[in-house]
Amino acid sequence: METETSPKLSLDCQSVSHWFGTKKVLHDINLSVERGQFVSLVGPSGCGKSTLLRAIVGTHLPRKGEILTLSQDPADTGTKVGGPGRDRGIVYQHYSLFPFLTALENVALGLKLDETSIGFRTFRWGAWRKLRKKHLKQAADFLDRVKLGDAIHQYPHEMSGGMRQRVAIAQALVMKPEIILLDEPFGALDEATREELQKALLLLFAENQEAKKAGKAPPYTLIIVTHELNEAIYVGDRLIGLSQYWDWKTEGHTEFPGASIVYDQTSPVFEPHDIREFEVFEDQRNALRNEVFNPDRWEPRVSHLK
Amino acid sequence: MIRSPIKPVTKILLSVLSVAFLLIGYSWLSDRQHLENPNDTTIPSWSQLAEGVERSVKWNERTEDRWLTDDAKATVIRLFSGLCIAVLGSCILGIGMGCMAPIEAFFHPPLSFFAKVPATAVIAVFMALVGLGMEMYITMIVFGILPSMAISVYQAVKEFPEELQYKAYTLGASHMEVIWTIIFPYVLPKLIDSLRLMIGPAMVYLIAAEMLFGDVGFGYRIRIQSKLLNMGVVYPYLVLLAGFGFTMDYLLKTLQRKISPWFEKQH
Repeated sequence: METETSPKLSLDCQSVSHWFGTKKVLHDINLSVERGQFVSLVGPSGCGKSTLLRAIVGTHLPRKGEILTLSQDPADTGTKVGGPGRDRGIVYQHYSLFPFLTALENVALGLKLDETSIGFRTFRWGAWRKLRKKHLKQAADFLDRVKLGDAIHQYPHEMSGGMRQRVAIAQALVMKPEIILLDEPFGALDEATREELQKALLLLFAENQEAKKAGKAPPYTLIIVTHELNEAIYVGDRLIGLSQYWDWKTEGHTEFPGASIVYDQTSPVFEPHDIREFEVFEDQRNALRNEVFNPDRWEPRVSHLK
Repeated sequence: MIRSPIKPVTKILLSVLSVAFLLIGYSWLSDRQHLENPNDTTIPSWSQLAEGVERSVKWNERTEDRWLTDDAKATVIRLFSGLCIAVLGSCILGIGMGCMAPIEAFFHPPLSFFAKVPATAVIAVFMALVGLGMEMYITMIVFGILPSMAISVYQAVKEFPEELQYKAYTLGASHMEVIWTIIFPYVLPKLIDSLRLMIGPAMVYLIAAEMLFGDVGFGYRIRIQSKLLNMGVVYPYLVLLAGFGFTMDYLLKTLQRKISPWFEKQH
């Protein structure tokens, strides 16, 4: 792992713990995500995956510890997450788009909010109109990239679930955030659409690889929370297993302190055009089932070992 | 079969038939009444109605006024003034309560209380507080519809998905932008729906106030002419009020379709 202020890092969770009243949810999570990594976060139901994601988004800040986001600037020592901010993009399973905006307007919304203010849009109407044209052009380009060039004027309720999620991904990508967070993004989709969107993410990963080869910083860093193990292994290049079934007693706790990371391994990288065969990662899937999802097996947590 | 659709032609035919039944029924009632008393004005004949309309639109040399235009002008100005203030106030209060917990805690209890009080029952209080001028009519409408509208806007804001609010922040929105650029367009069609529902009550409150205290306006004219049993004037006024209500509803629905095309399709 790099130092805390490494420009290679995009996100750094330091000793993050969270609880709701007497219910302990997360315990001492240490997670550093390098720029360009596609991290899949898996774990049993109720282990706190979404809580961790919300903490990173900044909507539900952790009770203990801190989360830092880091830009590409080598001098950046990290910005503490204090609330939702434009350095983190989010794609939810539901309510992924603004219902009153078309696909094009949804994607251009971030550019509008980020680059202008209400005052600018009201009082410098001419300049805003010019900028708006540029934003819409940029948004249309991104929609083309996710193969939705023909649906730019459709409202979310006129699109299929898969199309909506594509727009949501384009909406996050256009902002060029330090990290994109996906909370069970394909959970409500049919298998064929799911595969299509997984391949779309692999295309982004391929862009990262190309950038690295060209000596540039990889443009996309991503954390995907999913309950589907095949998806986690297929899409991510790093697998994180968060679990409530870890050996907390040997650390001296008398009561359950919250879920922690019990699995942190790289996962095979696939090309977007490869045939998707889940059989090839059966071993890793079984390892995940045993080490993360098995209530009878109490793994030592990863950060504890480090 | 229950809820099975009918042909458009059948629908139009049935609508025309219902209006025809009304007109035929009225003619029959009026004829029967005039057989018993040829001078009756409670259920005027079509010719008496035409006379009533003529009296309403004709310039009166003696009183130097034209009833219909003077009444319409007074009532419409009062109604729109009240509606504008009520819409603006309910929008500010509803969005404020939905977005800010202290505003919600401060305004929700009194608004919930006042929403249950019929404005017509408080008319004496308004008279004492603001007098008998324009202010009284406006207060009547605002008091009558603002609390209910503010609460429906507040509920619409509460229904706004948290995820979209968080997403707006991740897209770089400020608090003010979340309210103005995200929440306001989301609640706007619901505000229009709420206004459509409130046009009727607003007219009821205004007409009641005009009947009691007005010296011009639809309510005043209906009261005076009813007292004189000049129903030939009263009925056309009632038809005009209904027509006005329908037109307002149609215009608001068209406005909603124009500025929030997503809303109707989604629902």
